[in-house]
Amino acid sequence: MKKRRWLSLRKNPLGFLGAGILLAFVLMAIFAPLLPHLSPIYDPVQGMDPEILGTSPPSARHLLGTDAWGGDVLSQLMHGARTALLVAVIAAATSVAIGTIVGLLSGHYGGAVDGTLMRLVDVMLTLPLIPLVLVVSSALGQLSIWGVVLLIGFLGWPGIARVIRAQALSLRTRDFIESARAYGAGNARIILRHMAPSVLPLAFVYMSLTANGAIFLEAALSFLGLGDPNTVSWGMMLQWCFKTGNTFRAPYWMLPPGLSISALCFSFYLIGRGLDEVVNPRLRRM
Amino acid sequence: MTGYIARRLLQMVVTLFVILTVLFFLFRLMPGDPASMVLDPKMPPEAKEVLRHQFGLDRPLFTQYLLYLGNVLRGNFGRSFQSARSVLAVIVERLPATLLLFTTASVLSFALGMWIGKLIAWRRGGPLETSCTLLGLSFYTVFLPWFGMLVIWIFAYRLDWFPLGGILTPQLWIGMASTWAKALDVLHHLALPLFVLTAVMFAGSMLVMRSSMLETLEQDYVTAARAKGLTERVVRNRHAARNAMLPLVTSFTLSLAFSMSGGVLTETVFSWPGLGTELVEAVLSQDFPLAQGAFLLIAVLVLVANLVADVLYVVLDPRIRYR
Repeated sequence: MKKRRWLSLRKNPLGFLGAGILLAFVLMAIFAPLLPHLSPIYDPVQGMDPEILGTSPPSARHLLGTDAWGGDVLSQLMHGARTALLVAVIAAATSVAIGTIVGLLSGHYGGAVDGTLMRLVDVMLTLPLIPLVLVVSSALGQLSIWGVVLLIGFLGWPGIARVIRAQALSLRTRDFIESARAYGAGNARIILRHMAPSVLPLAFVYMSLTANGAIFLEAALSFLGLGDPNTVSWGMMLQWCFKTGNTFRAPYWMLPPGLSISALCFSFYLIGRGLDEVVNPRLRRM
Repeated sequence: MTGYIARRLLQMVVTLFVILTVLFFLFRLMPGDPASMVLDPKMPPEAKEVLRHQFGLDRPLFTQYLLYLGNVLRGNFGRSFQSARSVLAVIVERLPATLLLFTTASVLSFALGMWIGKLIAWRRGGPLETSCTLLGLSFYTVFLPWFGMLVIWIFAYRLDWFPLGGILTPQLWIGMASTWAKALDVLHHLALPLFVLTAVMFAGSMLVMRSSMLETLEQDYVTAARAKGLTERVVRNRHAARNAMLPLVTSFTLSLAFSMSGGVLTETVFSWPGLGTELVEAVLSQDFPLAQGAFLLIAVLVLVANLVADVLYVVLDPRIRYR
């Protein structure tokens, strides 16, 4: 069974393209601290090359050029990969954890619990996410990168909860759950020992799709000026480029961070789609 | 039908009520109370008390909540901290620009996605399918603000075909230009943001249409239509595509929130004077009444669009009994 699943993943070139892109970014994040320091007084991330004032096009000294303060774009880009992956993993894990718990509770208990939770899910799903994040973050004030990650995690669960609930509803009537109940297993035991393992593959698929959204949201917040100013992130790079009016004058500063955000989102989306085809075999036919 | 619409309207009211409640308590959870945001810290305590009384902040929380609900129902969203204008006046002024971009982009991306989805399902497995899917997915996951900057850089800055941003050319509107010239001017400004938002959104409808069309093509009535000797074109457009459209309408409803999120980013990049830019500016300048008002109006817009799409769905598919 495992072998066949693996094979069907190999038949999915787009999924592998996604995995390849992701791997490239992981390598970028790992090797970020190994960047050569040009001189003892020059920190590649914080910038201020003593010999360069303002933006400069790509050169041997700065492979991707420098930003408005003489900071090295390549170094910032590589450190940005760390931030993006961190955001992706933590925010997506938070969303998936909440979504799975809510979905399982909703599907298992049904009735009023289900009604209330799913009503909440409906409301959250009809609301556009970016305005919602904007208004909530304005109430919370200046957030650190951890605050941003948690905020994104706490707002990204409703879609997952809905899918897990549907799965839990169909599980509830299966024989192995019925027999567990007949043996006298309590609600907690049924949910944790019997239902949770069955929905995990699905939760994993959604983790990849949520990661794509989380990276986008963090970058969008940073771009709009609501991110953590002490973090080097791709969204922040873009924001500085936009705000200092260098969008057209220094395209070598504008292009790399945006391309990285897009490519990483693309890769998570492709991986999610690929995994979805493995987990939901119905789709494979088409 | 009227019963269905009434029920959906009631649902909308409940949703709005939930949103209002959450907003109220969210903004009361802030460190300090709203007054400490506007008041000068050097003000004498007695004067602060007077102001707190005027704002109603010395009443119990629940009374404040009721007052707030009452005010919102009467269209009183308070005054903007920055301009001291009534929030309602500001957001109503911004509504048309957002409405224009949001509706045109939603409809255009729906139509485009349906059309391409239909074609690639029909020629399944061809190079057209691969290229459209890859292109659509790249647009779908592109970082929208960056894509917008790129489009402005190429088409407005380099080629100078379109304006850099905004919704109109002020000189033209002050002068004696004809209505036609003015409409063309707005269209000229609309082109790039519309292109960006449509490009980002059409892939969603395209993929749904594709899989729905593939399912429909296996149905007996499609075989029957072919057996009758109808041309392939008629089978595709009249028999298969019309029925394949139905799941698309459902996914369209879900995509409305997504398109509004994208709209906020598009507006910001193109300095489009809509609700999205207003919301971003209000949030950045900590203008809480304005931020809440803009958010509420955006939410109402999405809810109304949802309702319209749902009603259209029922009209399109008579098999659905409105529950």
